[in-house]
Amino acid sequence: MARRIVSVTTQTPTATADTTNLVDATYPFLLKGGSSTQINRIHEVSISGQAASSSSPTFMVLAFDSTVATGTNTNGTGQTDAPMDSSTAALSAAAITGNSNATTKPQRAATLHLMNCSLNAFGGVYFWRANKVDECVGVYGNTANIGEVSLSAFTGGTPGACGFHMVYESL
Amino acid sequence: MVFSKRELEGYLMIDHRDSPGLTREQVGTDALGPGKLYESATFTCSHCQTVVVINPRRTRERGYCPKCDHYICDACEAKRVQSGGACRTFRQMAEEFLEAQDKGKVLLPWHDVSSR
Repeated sequence: MARRIVSVTTQTPTATADTTNLVDATYPFLLKGGSSTQINRIHEVSISGQAASSSSPTFMVLAFDSTVATGTNTNGTGQTDAPMDSSTAALSAAAITGNSNATTKPQRAATLHLMNCSLNAFGGVYFWRANKVDECVGVYGNTANIGEVSLSAFTGGTPGACGFHMVYESL
Repeated sequence: MVFSKRELEGYLMIDHRDSPGLTREQVGTDALGPGKLYESATFTCSHCQTVVVINPRRTRERGYCPKCDHYICDACEAKRVQSGGACRTFRQMAEEFLEAQDKGKVLLPWHDVSSR
């Protein structure tokens, strides 16, 4: 259908253990289906370190959530979700990508990590891109355990400021 | 038409050329150390969707499922061999799940995935 880019200009993520609430605005974004039958595919993940002065090992993980977010979902400071093509029509049930949730907070699954995106935020850059649609990570529906993924910092290290973006496509 | 598995490979880049990088203690390799640029091909396991960084120095056979004709991760390869060659792709499981959702059936839990 149409690809979109969810982006965060700058954020210092908070290291959070698996199966623990991801506190609002302490992780870059999640991606949850807009309906129980919607499929989303992740094409690209990029993290650019922005820490200004000292070594900042940042252990980012893209993973399915074992508890999905509920309640009103809103974008955090500096977060945008824009279509890659300006002629993209809005979906009636758009995927959810904000990092603040009014009711239930998302929790990263302990056994369903999809991508380890570790980098040193002091000058480091992480970039991954799938080559073909078949190789994209799929998000199916909007319920646990395969209806929501989040990008968040795992425990350890000293997370530093980063800029993030992810390209996804809602089918 | 000749088809190569390499055509499916994704691209990973971790650039620490101007960074202290990550230590062997942190990530189990020196490849992400200070001043290093790491580039690698990746594949997405068709059985669990984990993105796997292809190790060019690997000498062991890579996990491969002949039924879905796709590389799979080591954990899924162990399960596949243990089961006598069973193949159930992540996409199949997900589509069954969505179909059940669409028909209003309750399908709990998602044990096939979460127990891997």
